[in-house]
Amino acid sequence: MNTLKHTWHHLRRSPFQSMLAILVTSVSFFILAVFLILSVGMSSVLQYFETKPEITLFLKDGLDRVAVENVQKDLSAYPNIKEVKFISKEKALSIYKEQNKDNPLLTEMVTASILPASFEVSVTDPKVLETIYQNFSTKKDLVSDIIYQKNFINNIINWTNNIRIFGIIAVITLTVISFFEIITIIGMKITNRKEEIKISRLLGASKFYVKKPFILEGIFYGISGAALGNILATIIALNLKTRLNTFFNPIIFIQPNISFYFLIFFSEILVGICIGYFSSTVGVKRHIKF
Amino acid sequence: MKIEFINVNKNYGLINALTDISFVVNQGEFVLITGPSGTGKTSLLKLLLHQIKPSSGQILIDDVDISTLPKKQIDQLRVKIGVIFQDFQLITDKTVEENIALNLDIAAYPENKIPARIDEVLSQVNLKNRRHSFPGQLSGGELQRVALARALSNQPDLILADEPTGNLDIENSWLLLKLLKDINSNFGTTIIMTTHNQDIINSLDYPKILLRDGKIENINNEKIIKVKRSKKI
Repeated sequence: MNTLKHTWHHLRRSPFQSMLAILVTSVSFFILAVFLILSVGMSSVLQYFETKPEITLFLKDGLDRVAVENVQKDLSAYPNIKEVKFISKEKALSIYKEQNKDNPLLTEMVTASILPASFEVSVTDPKVLETIYQNFSTKKDLVSDIIYQKNFINNIINWTNNIRIFGIIAVITLTVISFFEIITIIGMKITNRKEEIKISRLLGASKFYVKKPFILEGIFYGISGAALGNILATIIALNLKTRLNTFFNPIIFIQPNISFYFLIFFSEILVGICIGYFSSTVGVKRHIKF
Repeated sequence: MKIEFINVNKNYGLINALTDISFVVNQGEFVLITGPSGTGKTSLLKLLLHQIKPSSGQILIDDVDISTLPKKQIDQLRVKIGVIFQDFQLITDKTVEENIALNLDIAAYPENKIPARIDEVLSQVNLKNRRHSFPGQLSGGELQRVALARALSNQPDLILADEPTGNLDIENSWLLLKLLKDINSNFGTTIIMTTHNQDIINSLDYPKILLRDGKIENINNEKIIKVKRSKKI
């Protein structure tokens, strides 16, 4: 009879305690997996907007050609400028019509004269956007309005950070709960098997011999909980993949490559082994003292 | 396995459980420790198993003072000792087979030979048909034979039997004694058995150490006494 058989024997003899340990651990790992998948999705959203930094300056009506060219020269002179694109009133009208082609009511009353001409500026370093915004905000004679993604990006950053903070707090809390849950269950199992441990020690079993099955049991809870929680989260994520990725198009919110899920799976298994090992070791140290 | 007690005392607080115990049991001997209940017979066996430590004196096993042994070697020593308890001490949720296998596993018996060895010892105690039974399904006599089979399984050098007939009827008591006698004569295993059953004491022609109030009142064997005296010198 080897250690694995002893461990299996312990699991079989008190299945409800074992199931409780696996269930509590799996909830922690489910939340961890969901948090990781969401976190990567939010990072993709953030990355998408951060790599497409733009500012749009709407020009005052009635500016002559020289004034418009001077604005263009000024904008091009800023560092880290990728592109300065002029959108004439006519171009603005065609864009507007294209965007609202399914709604003729919105297009039939609009003419090029009521839409402002504008400059769309894209940059390689988003920091310059703030400088452009500050400088052109004061030039009221040239610029009527400025649309800058600053608030939008800040919102995404806040959302991402909040999800991360909430995720980290939830994972730490649930990990601590799983840790103490395993310690308690291992303690209960040791108490149940006190007689067996005492007899084994009298027969010459070393302390490690009697501790080993309980430590393996803790590791088993860690692995099972991690696998169960992770598989559940992966199934849900893959089921929602098409819907969420269509919603966030062109951003890939839910990763489609299976290697991403394997990476999370094996990382969680590793964490599960560590939690199972350390919690059962603490449980065993507390309860086996003879 | 040679056992030697040299002026061993054991106190539990102010209570003297054993006082100035000295004797020698040589390899292959069958020795009875007798005396009324509460005279320290079980304490004496617990000292041998190093379950408790002597307050003073020395206990030598094969000329090695066991109080000097590190913990790991104490475990190895216990593997060489088969123990039979009055209350059997079998693991209730393991089958007969699993109880014996546990002892063999602890003794690092080759795993592939364990089933055959279990067969062998169960045949010796005539319990082959009870291999898959749980202790709760066995009678007192059967339980004690399982305990004996477990003790025998890893071919120990010494068997300690603590009141092994205490919970058995007359018939099963004699059956168990016959098995112990056979093991002693066939395999040369040293056996130390405690008992307060006067019928058993009178029927067995083995060295007997009579304990009373934690002291040796009488040893009916010249060899044991002689060694004791020579150690005292």
